[in-house]
Amino acid sequence: MSVLRRMIRLRSVRLALLVLAVVAVLAVAGGSLAPQDPIAQDPKAILQNPSGAHWLGTDYLGRDVLSRLMDATGRSVVGAAEAVGVGLLLGAPAGLASVVFGRAFEWLALRISDALLTLPYIIFAIAVTGIIGNGIHQAMLAIGLVLAPNYFRITRAATLGLASSQYVEIAELVGASRWWILRTHIWNKVLPTIVVTAASGAAASLLVVSSLSFLGIGTKPPAPTWGGMLSSDLNYLAQRPWAPLAPSLVIIITVAALNALADALRDTTGIVTGDPGRSGRARGSDSADTAETSSAATANSAVTAGSAVATSSAATATATGSVETTTAATSSIPRQKREVSDV
Amino acid sequence: MGRRGFLRLGALAGGSILLAACGGGGDSASGGSTTGGTLRWGWALVTSWDPITSSAGWDVHALSLVYAGLTKLDEKANPVPALASSWEYSADGTSVTFHLRSGLTFSDGTAVDATAVKKSLERGRDSKNSLVAAQLASLKEVVAVDATTVRIDLKNTDYQLPAILAGKTGMIVSPKAVETDEKGLATKPVGAGPFQLNSYVPNDSAKLTRFAGYWDAANIKPDNFELYPAPEAATALASLQSGRLDVAMIPASQLNAVKAAGFEVQIIPSLVTSVLDVNNTVAPFDNPKVVQAIKHAVDRKALVDTVNFGVGEVNYQPFPKGHAGHNAALENAYPFDVAKAKKLLAEAGHPDGIDVTLTTTAAEGLPEQVQAQLAKAGIRVKLEVIPQAQATQQVYIQRAKPFFTDQFAGRESPVQAFQVLFGEQGLMNPGRTNPPALKEAVAKITATPLDDPNYASVVQAATKIAVETMPNVFLFSNPRILARRTNVSQLGSYLMAQRFEGVTVTGNS
Repeated sequence: MSVLRRMIRLRSVRLALLVLAVVAVLAVAGGSLAPQDPIAQDPKAILQNPSGAHWLGTDYLGRDVLSRLMDATGRSVVGAAEAVGVGLLLGAPAGLASVVFGRAFEWLALRISDALLTLPYIIFAIAVTGIIGNGIHQAMLAIGLVLAPNYFRITRAATLGLASSQYVEIAELVGASRWWILRTHIWNKVLPTIVVTAASGAAASLLVVSSLSFLGIGTKPPAPTWGGMLSSDLNYLAQRPWAPLAPSLVIIITVAALNALADALRDTTGIVTGDPGRSGRARGSDSADTAETSSAATANSAVTAGSAVATSSAATATATGSVETTTAATSSIPRQKREVSDV
Repeated sequence: MGRRGFLRLGALAGGSILLAACGGGGDSASGGSTTGGTLRWGWALVTSWDPITSSAGWDVHALSLVYAGLTKLDEKANPVPALASSWEYSADGTSVTFHLRSGLTFSDGTAVDATAVKKSLERGRDSKNSLVAAQLASLKEVVAVDATTVRIDLKNTDYQLPAILAGKTGMIVSPKAVETDEKGLATKPVGAGPFQLNSYVPNDSAKLTRFAGYWDAANIKPDNFELYPAPEAATALASLQSGRLDVAMIPASQLNAVKAAGFEVQIIPSLVTSVLDVNNTVAPFDNPKVVQAIKHAVDRKALVDTVNFGVGEVNYQPFPKGHAGHNAALENAYPFDVAKAKKLLAEAGHPDGIDVTLTTTAAEGLPEQVQAQLAKAGIRVKLEVIPQAQATQQVYIQRAKPFFTDQFAGRESPVQAFQVLFGEQGLMNPGRTNPPALKEAVAKITATPLDDPNYASVVQAATKIAVETMPNVFLFSNPRILARRTNVSQLGSYLMAQRFEGVTVTGNS
């Protein structure tokens, strides 16, 4: 695909892919690649500074920090992927369907999505793990559920723009089935938008996984996660003041790579996932509630409400700028139309 | 005059209270003469300001700021006079007469007299919501003999009452406050303690002012007292440096940093003991050899050195050194011995090791280390984390978690400690069973006067039976680490509830 070729020409994309490749390798084999046993304790060598034996020092139980960081990769990344997967699976098809399958379904889907939008991530995850058990999968299921409305909204916004385009109307007039229209005219044009959203969603989820283990939810010690390591390092600032840097940098770099990829995809496909002025401002602000719910606006379907991936967690603040406001506003529709007319 | 009588009694009780009365103990700089200022204490807020509905043992420290009892505990946890200037038992120990100080009032202006004491104690015993009722169950009748004399008739001989009444159980609440707004006591306490509460924001802060009507007001120096939650490890030092707190409980990890920054740190021996609760009616813990194996497989010294940065003492029993119940013969009761643990496990029928689940509210630190230690003896531990808010329900009430990391906060009377840790209703005895020998030994403590020369040996005999027959795995004593700004004088070294008699604060408004 030319999109891929155009993307790969960008230096940021090559760098991001390199980072993600390393992360992927570590995610699969981090534990076995680790120089030492990530959970082997040494009470005689706790909170040590970096040395030949421990390149990044040791933690509060004398465990090798580097090995733990490597071993933690899989758990952190899989958690994020789970959340995005659940969100996509629940959100994207429902978003498509809400445009195509009639008023009743549309109304119901919108109300459910509105309801889910009101739930705050972290608190919802805490509640869910409190009820169905404290584990990474339960927590990620909860996060995925809360992410779903974002995918729903964005997919729906993109689909709405296409559904009212002339060639789709013509196809309808000449008797094409809904399924055929979806497959031929809509799905492949909506897909890039969804991918962009998923990339930034993955970045946000990575932070959520980290903040959850920060709160002791999800994975259980001694199994390390990036967020868990960050949280415990903060308790020993007096002994190792620089220690939180290591897990934070790993989180920041991974999130940055995903965002770079999402940015590049948006730039090369010409899909606008946000009014540049607005998203520019939204970036860096840690306002927790940028999620708009304007049911009036969505009802007449002229304007689609944007939704923002934002968490009110501490981790978000460390990586501000990474959590992107993805708004499919009215301005995206003319652009898509233009692109369509080029075809 | 009151002071002299008080000193005499204090000397009888071991002399330690004398230090507190003189202000600041060994700290010669303070001299105990400076009054005024505001003392900000980073400690913990209460579950309720009403002593009979407060549900955490820890609350006793904060409640002692606003309430006084007939007695209080001195630094070594012996009961000494408070609202009552003296007391005497009847010959058979079934009745005790307290003589109140005259002219005392509650912070609402009503009199602290025999009737008030009677009403307050009866409320603790009879109120439907009372969580201290079990402690007062032995009270047959409270009789107001005259305005300043209260006689308590007991159902059986119980020489522990003066100690029991020194804690939450015996805090005297204004009867007028109970009549006008009993529920309101949870946020608006009315007692006759050193301070009175002015404003209270749950989980945030409590602001108090000195109560001039306190019987020992001469020894209460700060005009204002503010109570806050203890600082996090990451913010402990900063909270002292910024002056947000004057006295703070800090984690052991921050000890050196706080000292290096020029703050005074006191490591105060306390009754707080880390312990693993074990339900010995549930497999595999129903086999005493498995429990013994666990007791030998834990390297307590390593736990103290790692989790507590060397602060604290390895302990195999519920009482720390210096407490009457501490039995010196138990100082190495279950030495760390992996080979022996393995052997015991094999004898118990688990030659290939055993799988157990250890429940905790925060897996980081001690549980992780215990997990690694037990693994070496073939005890494979799975850690299960439950929310703190559910711990009481799941562990203490439903008894659904047979192996739990816990901390025993200590009790005013050793008999209370035995009840909580080993009693048939004991919260920290999830098996809810105990051997008859232990019951007899505890009954003997109740029947022995505190000043009996054999008292300590009677308590220690019970300690020995408990440690040898009960499954609780005692780990180490946790001292109270209090850091303070240099403008605060030395704090008293109280085994039980921290008190502030004689503590001064200067240059702080």
